[in-house]
Amino acid sequence: MKRPAAQQGAFHGEVQGDFARLLEKGGVPLPRFGAGIDAGKRVEGSHELIMAHGTTVIAVKFKDGVLNVADRRATSGSSLILYDEAEKVLALDDSTLIAIAGSYAQAIEAVRYLQHSFKYYARSQLQEMSLEGKLAEVSRLLSGSLPRVLQGLGGFLPVISAYDRKQQMGRIFFYDMMGARFETREFGAAGSGAERIRGALEYVEQSRGPFHELSLDQALRESLLLLEIAAKLDAATGGLGRVLPLAKTVTAEGVAEVPETKLRAIQAEALSAPRSD
Amino acid sequence: MAYSPYDWRQTLQEKADYVEDRLRVGSPVIGISCRDGILLLTVRQSVQHKLYEIYDRLAFGGLGNPSDLEALRQASVDFCHAEGYQHSPEDVSIQRVVGFALSPVLKRGFADPLRTPLVILGLFAQLGERPEDDLFYKLNYDGDFALQHHYGGIAGTREAEAQLERILKDALGLKEPRRALAWEKALPQALQAWVMARWQVRQGSEPSKGEAGERGPSASEPVKEKGSSEMTHLPSEKERERLLAEELRQGSVEAVLLERETPRTQRFRPLSEEELAPFLPTKED
Repeated sequence: MKRPAAQQGAFHGEVQGDFARLLEKGGVPLPRFGAGIDAGKRVEGSHELIMAHGTTVIAVKFKDGVLNVADRRATSGSSLILYDEAEKVLALDDSTLIAIAGSYAQAIEAVRYLQHSFKYYARSQLQEMSLEGKLAEVSRLLSGSLPRVLQGLGGFLPVISAYDRKQQMGRIFFYDMMGARFETREFGAAGSGAERIRGALEYVEQSRGPFHELSLDQALRESLLLLEIAAKLDAATGGLGRVLPLAKTVTAEGVAEVPETKLRAIQAEALSAPRSD
Repeated sequence: MAYSPYDWRQTLQEKADYVEDRLRVGSPVIGISCRDGILLLTVRQSVQHKLYEIYDRLAFGGLGNPSDLEALRQASVDFCHAEGYQHSPEDVSIQRVVGFALSPVLKRGFADPLRTPLVILGLFAQLGERPEDDLFYKLNYDGDFALQHHYGGIAGTREAEAQLERILKDALGLKEPRRALAWEKALPQALQAWVMARWQVRQGSEPSKGEAGERGPSASEPVKEKGSSEMTHLPSEKERERLLAEELRQGSVEAVLLERETPRTQRFRPLSEEELAPFLPTKED
């Protein structure tokens, strides 16, 4: 007896690991931020809405992989500190970190989507999505959120850090608002404080040697200091002072959070006296 | 063609026979709730994996027709990920996957006289915060399912399954206040249970044993514990060793751990050959 096609359809996966198609099939709304909105029209009074924004995130290579640090401040408008414990560095999976700056609501929703998309692909197709595939997925989300950005409702910019198993090294990628992707050699940064410390990042690289040769401790000290500098120059960035920043690494062993004790030691050192080394 | 109620019942019986015939040869799948996670174990005959990750805390192993199993697996994965994204990963539970997403579809397919039934028997495991929170669901080809704690096992015949569960129950000492084993302690038990179930299936398929080993559609036939009385002799240790060595000549042990405590986001970890080697008979060439 031949099996009727209808039965196969009822059970067999037709979406081939594509999470967007799975959601569409199930009628779950996709995170196409602002789809259907007239992009040409700015929303009246959008600047008065209370929207959380993340601020400075830094990604630097070190000898085992990539280190991400971020302050924990979320601001609204130009002066309101909305929240001081925001998490801006998140694991997308066991070999990929995302650091987010910009509209917090959109970024967090995008992260949730990407996490599910990657693990859905891996579990349904029985192989991990390639790094290239993951990066393209991020691009798609960004270009999808463009209408919202144009309306003045804000967008977000991610820095992706990944451990590339084939090349056995950490890699860093940043994006523009339209979803173009760029790979950087040593470091990447995003957020309102990022522009202000780019020169400093260059200086550190020239004076201390390339980041990918530094130990985790060295890289951590340099990047936390840079975060403190960003906080000095940018009102929307929380520095080392009150709330500890967040630091995560991605290496061949996977994603790990830098322990609080280590951060505290560096915080105390950085805030107390100029370094003697 | 019209169907009278009599035809319908007969059709169900024929469908059940058809499925059971094919299930019998399947390799048993065993799950044990351990201190460090849930251990799932089976022996596979081909390169095709038999134990799968369904969601963050859910895993699945099955026996039956590979393409039917694949359909079941894909349906579970689809359901979990749409759910987990729409609500939250904590809202994805094994009871809803099996009870709402799979069982009704299986039941409909099985009861429809014009459809070929799916040849499957599934074991689903859900990892809890503590070993006593772990859940095992067994899903039958007719949509029937059952919940178990501490351990779960499926095998090609009802007797083999009863045999397997007796062994696990004794081995895990479920009478006393229970302390979950480390996976290294549980793995030899799982392997023993697998061997005994396999032995039982082979006994049942010998022509002299007649009708022994029929599962029967679970809805129409009450579970009879006939395995214990009908077993003429239990295999000696030597016989068990020989059976395992024989099975491993073509097949290989597949085991995964659904880890309770891990820094990784993925809890599902296939045990490597090196990890399994100490528990297996050394291969003679």
